[in-house]
Parts: sequence; C-alpha cells; structure tokens
Amino acid sequence: MKQRTLWTAALVVGLAFTAGCGSASGPGSSSGGSSDKLVVWDWKSGDPKAASYIQKAKADFAKKHPGVNLEFVAQPFDQYYTLLGAAIQSGKGPDVIMFNGGGKIRDRSDALAPLDSYIADDRQRLTGWDAFAKDGKTYAEPVTLQGHPIYYNKDLYQKAGLNPDAPATTLDEFIKNCGVITQKTGAKCFALGNKEGFGIQFWLSALGSAVLTPQEYDDWIAGKRNWSSPDVKQIFELWKQAGDTGLNTDGANSTAMFNDAFAAFSSGKAANVIGLMSDVGHWKDFAEFLTPEKIGVMQAPLVNPAAKPSLPYDGGIGYAVAKWTKDPKLAADVVRSLTSTEPLQAFSLDGGAIASDTTIDIAKSGPAAKAIVAEVKTGKPALHVALSSTTVDLMGRLSQQLLSDSITVDDVLAQLAASDKTG
Amino acid sequence: MGPATAGPTEDTAGRAPAPRPATASARRNRRGSRAERLAPLVLLAPAILIIAGLRLWPLLLGINFSFTGDGARNGMNVGLDNYLTLLHDPLFRTALRNVGLLVLLLPVAVAIPGLLATFIFLKVPGHRLYRGVYFFPAVLSPVIVGAIFNLLLAFDGPLNALLGGLGIGPVDWLGNPDVAIFAVVGVHIWATFGMALVVFLAGFATLDSSVLDAAKVDGASLPQTIWHVIIPSLSRTIQFVFVTTMIGMLTSMFGLLYVMTGGGPAGSTYLPEYYVWIQQGQMNQPALASAASTALFLIMLVVGLGQIGILRRAGKED
Repeated sequence: MKQRTLWTAALVVGLAFTAGCGSASGPGSSSGGSSDKLVVWDWKSGDPKAASYIQKAKADFAKKHPGVNLEFVAQPFDQYYTLLGAAIQSGKGPDVIMFNGGGKIRDRSDALAPLDSYIADDRQRLTGWDAFAKDGKTYAEPVTLQGHPIYYNKDLYQKAGLNPDAPATTLDEFIKNCGVITQKTGAKCFALGNKEGFGIQFWLSALGSAVLTPQEYDDWIAGKRNWSSPDVKQIFELWKQAGDTGLNTDGANSTAMFNDAFAAFSSGKAANVIGLMSDVGHWKDFAEFLTPEKIGVMQAPLVNPAAKPSLPYDGGIGYAVAKWTKDPKLAADVVRSLTSTEPLQAFSLDGGAIASDTTIDIAKSGPAAKAIVAEVKTGKPALHVALSSTTVDLMGRLSQQLLSDSITVDDVLAQLAASDKTG
Repeated sequence: MGPATAGPTEDTAGRAPAPRPATASARRNRRGSRAERLAPLVLLAPAILIIAGLRLWPLLLGINFSFTGDGARNGMNVGLDNYLTLLHDPLFRTALRNVGLLVLLLPVAVAIPGLLATFIFLKVPGHRLYRGVYFFPAVLSPVIVGAIFNLLLAFDGPLNALLGGLGIGPVDWLGNPDVAIFAVVGVHIWATFGMALVVFLAGFATLDSSVLDAAKVDGASLPQTIWHVIIPSLSRTIQFVFVTTMIGMLTSMFGLLYVMTGGGPAGSTYLPEYYVWIQQGQMNQPALASAASTALFLIMLVVGLGQIGILRRAGKED
C-alpha cells in the first residue's frame, strides 16, 4: 500500500515535469534581457586570434559602464544563422549580434534596432557602412572590411622569369603571363574552389570593375542592374572561358573554397587567387607556407578600356543591436566599444584582418596589407554583395553548371535577371 | 464473476452487523480495481504527453506556420503561397526527383548486404574476417565518412589516380552534376549496409538447415539455392531491411550531403531535408522551410504507411 502511494507520487512528480517541458512557452528565458547583463552572439570570440580584441573591447565597455556584465557566446559559424533564425522567431535572444554585411543582415533587419542616433561620432572614423544599411537606416557598426583583392605568388612569377613587382595590367597580358608560369613551373593560373558556389561571387566582384564602365558599376550597386548588357555578359563569359581553357585548378566544382582552394594557392599549385581581406583567405592566412613578402596584391587586370579597376570591398562583419533588447542605448554602447580604435588595432595585428577603422596604424602589417589599405580610399562596394541571398545562391549553382558545360551564358543571365527582379 | 460474488456478501452485510474485515477488504478490492484501471493510463501518460507535447503539438504549429509568410509578410496568412513557391522552385523539384531516385536505388541498397550476408552464411573462405570488416563503417559518423570520401573522390585523389593508371580519364566524382548524386548514395550505402548485413545474418540463423541440405543433395547450383531456397525463407527479413533502409536513406543523408557536396554541384544532390535547412538557416525563409518540411512529412507518411501495409500483408501470409 505504502509502496503504491510512493509510486503514484513519483509518477505525479514526473508528469508535472514533462508537462512543463511540453508547454510551448516556458517561463523566463536563459539568454539576454536583464539590464545588468548583456549577451553578445558571434562566431569570433572563441578564436584565439580575436582574444585580445574581445578583451580590449570588454575593458573599454567596463570603463564606460562599470557593473554591467558582458557575456560573449561564440556560436559555430556553420550553424550561426540557423540558431539566430530560431532566436528571431521566438523574439528572444542576444542583445548584441554579429552579422556579415550585405544580404545576411538586410534579410534580418526587421529584428534589429536602427543605430543611427547613437553612432554619429563614429561615422567619419569607420568605413564600410553601406553593407549594414537598409532603406537609409544603419543596423550595425562595421568591424572589418571584406573584399576581394587578387593575390599572386611572387615566387612563381620570379621562377617563370616575370617581374614579380610589375604584375599585368590588362587581362590579355595576365593570361599570357599565366601561360608562361604554367609552362615553366606547372602551376595553374587561378586556385579556384566553387563547391559552395563562392567562386563566382569572388570572380564577379574582383573582375567587375575591370569590365563594367564606372557608370554601369554605380548603377549596379544602386540597384539598376542591366543583366542583358554586353559588359555584364562578358564577366560570365570570362568565367566560362577560364574554366574551358584550363586556367583554374582541376575539379573546381568539387573543391571547397575554404580552405582547399586557398591551400592550393599557398602551396604553390596556382599562381593567383581571388581571396579575401578579413576573417580567412587573406594574406596572413597564407603565411604558413607563403611569407608576407612573397605575396603580391594586384589590381584587376583591365578588360574593357572604358573601365576603371578598383578594389571591391564592403563592411565585412559588424555588430548589431537586437530589437528586443531592454536598453538599446546601452547595447549600442557595447557595439561602440567593439568598434573603438584600440580593440580594432589589436584585431588587425593579431588576425591580419583589414579593420574598418581608417585611423589605425598598419606599419607592423605585411606589404600586402599595406597595398590593400592604400586602395581602400578609391575602392567601391563589391558587385555580388548588392545581390539578394536568393540570387547569389542561384548564381552559385548556375556557375557550377557553366563550369560543367551544361548551360549557356545567355540562359544564366536570363535566370539571374528573373531572380534579381523578384528579389 | 465480480457481481456474483459481491451479491451474497452484501446480503449478509444487510442482515447481520457487518463483520468489519469483510467490508474493509471489499472496499480495498474496489479501490484496488480502480487503481488497476487507472494504472495503465497513468503509466502511459508520460509517453503520451511527451509525444503530444513535444511531437504532435510542434508538428501542428509547424504546419500552421507553413501558411504564413516570410520577410515583410512575416506572421501574415498567405494561404498556399509557400506550397506554390515550392512547386515552382526547380531546386525543390530536384530534391523530390532525388527522393524518387533513392526509391529506385533501394533494391541495390538491399541486395548488396543480402548477397554479402549470403556469402558469409555459405562460409566462403575468410568469412569471419569479412563479417567484421563489413560492419566496421556502420560505427563511423557520416561526417567522418564524408571527409574520408572527399579525399578519396577528389579530382586529384587516389581513385582518379587508379583510373588514370588503367587509362581511364579522371572523373570529377563530386563535381559533375550527373555523377555526384550516385557518388553520395554509393558512399551512404557503403557506410550503412553493415547494419542491414547484421539483420540478414540474424535472419539466416533462423533458416532451416535441412532445407539447404536437401537442396545440396538435389544438386542445386548456388544461384538456384539463393533464388529458390534462401530468398523465400527470408522474405520477412528482406521486407524489414527494405523498410529500415528506406527510412535511413530519406532521413540520415544530411551529414554526408553537407560534407561531401553541400547540395551541389548545381543543386543536383539536394534532398528535401537539405532544402529545409538551407531555406531556414541560409535564406532566412522559415515559413517556406516549414512548408517544405510539411511536404517531406507527407512523403514520409505515404512511404511509411505503404511499407506498414506491405509488412502487415506479409505477416498475414505467414
């Protein structure tokens, strides 16, 4: 009898627990909310290269707001936007959120608080704002700049008898040089990884300024994209030709850009690569095999005489403030600390990232970093960043079809135009 | 039985002062039977609540969510718009076509472990070793399997080097839209057939050896033995393996796809599961993803009910 009562009691307690689990909205939330603790989500704070950056930013914030705790939650990048999507759907989550610039933040701007009224003082010092703005409102402060310089291996140029300090300025000359390098060293022209469809994005943005006229370029960025223009068509034709004529490393469609293609470049299997400026795939990332003085940065080789090559870049990553945070001004101050000069200086030095702060000292960085920073002033936003995520995704798949020769360039342009129109 | 014995007791209770112990035991009996009647419900409740609260309720929420919009139309009722989008999305159609392809490849995925199990059962030389070797991949996680085959199937990888040695041109196993899905399915079969093999071996253990001996005495060849003796005796095992292999193919290829092809090239290796993940996580279209999961759920429901039907009919034959 007694035993049975015990059993019943145990079951009732158990049921009470499961019932609690079953209810859709549990009481309280584990992250964010309270005003003396702010939660920051990113995929960087766990990276040893960003350790001193985060530490300095925390110190800066603690000076301005003693007593307010900052908790950094480093999420795996693979799952980042999936997890964030769940947080946004539930309307609860971190107070401060790291974002990639462009489509990633614009698609989710509904969940963010505009920062314009808090950040006026940073406008001049930082650059790369456009990637974090939508409809005239700014949703994040840029931390790094992301863009697509063309890196080349000076060693291979030298071995092929070419002057490593005077890279080609026109595409014809560039391809001729590649022929010489391949003949003399066996290295391919481009290290290309297009498994994820990233290859075409880099290609479009790196070569765009050498093909489109300045007017066409600016129109593209402003949203007036003419997919039937012969210049736009030429960018995709060049992509196909590079594949057909064997300029790329083999098996591009099954090679991951991160990091197999970059590994191919740094191990000397290809003479050039369209890389990145921040995060990964940049000059410091190649340093394991290619010391900084062996890495050159060239301007896009000219294709159309009417074009004016420039460095394509945008804000890379930045921090935004969630709409649901209790005190947006306080959260904005976290963002301001994360983009203040001293932390960014540390990030630039340790990680090799090109920071958004134009006032930091890059004397200790390599020559490639200096060459990139020198071009930032005349640079323009990258072409692919202006496209919606859906169009970029479609472009990735179509580019794979172009490489495997199962679609025509005209067909590709027609599909992209249709996708671009619907958003 | 109950009322018949209860009757006289009550009668006696009415006539004479109630003998206490008797009423107490009757009450206890009655309470005992009520407790016994409630016990199954109470014992089932945790399972039912978990299924209802953590499975069915979210499922209904998800289906409901699939009728709302994304982005600017977040939270608005959009009717069947998401489903129409799916129908017109070539990527989703590819994903469905690949499901069809998986169903077509199912016999191969069942025949391989079946044949290998037969060889082990017939004690080919080294069968003990093979039994262990065949099962080995089943303990590896899909991510590790994917990474291994990424290296083996790379354009400049060992398999192409081998083919080159034989004078056959390199094949971009994971980069050619026509080949990639077969490469991934092949690897999936390689990685999972060990489990089916074990089920087959268990089935063989129940085989009547006198029938096999009789076949041997009658001079049946190996193919004849397999076709006329082994397969008919193992029909239930085979059906079970069919069902589990199909479920495995439809639900657990995500890891391999993610590591080996990322849905590419040109979207040729998309499966509905992968599509759901991309739309939710990468494209920020959770409502569209919900619609796709609902569609996937319906497919699984049809396939599952069909298979249960087949199994039940097979059970009746026995």
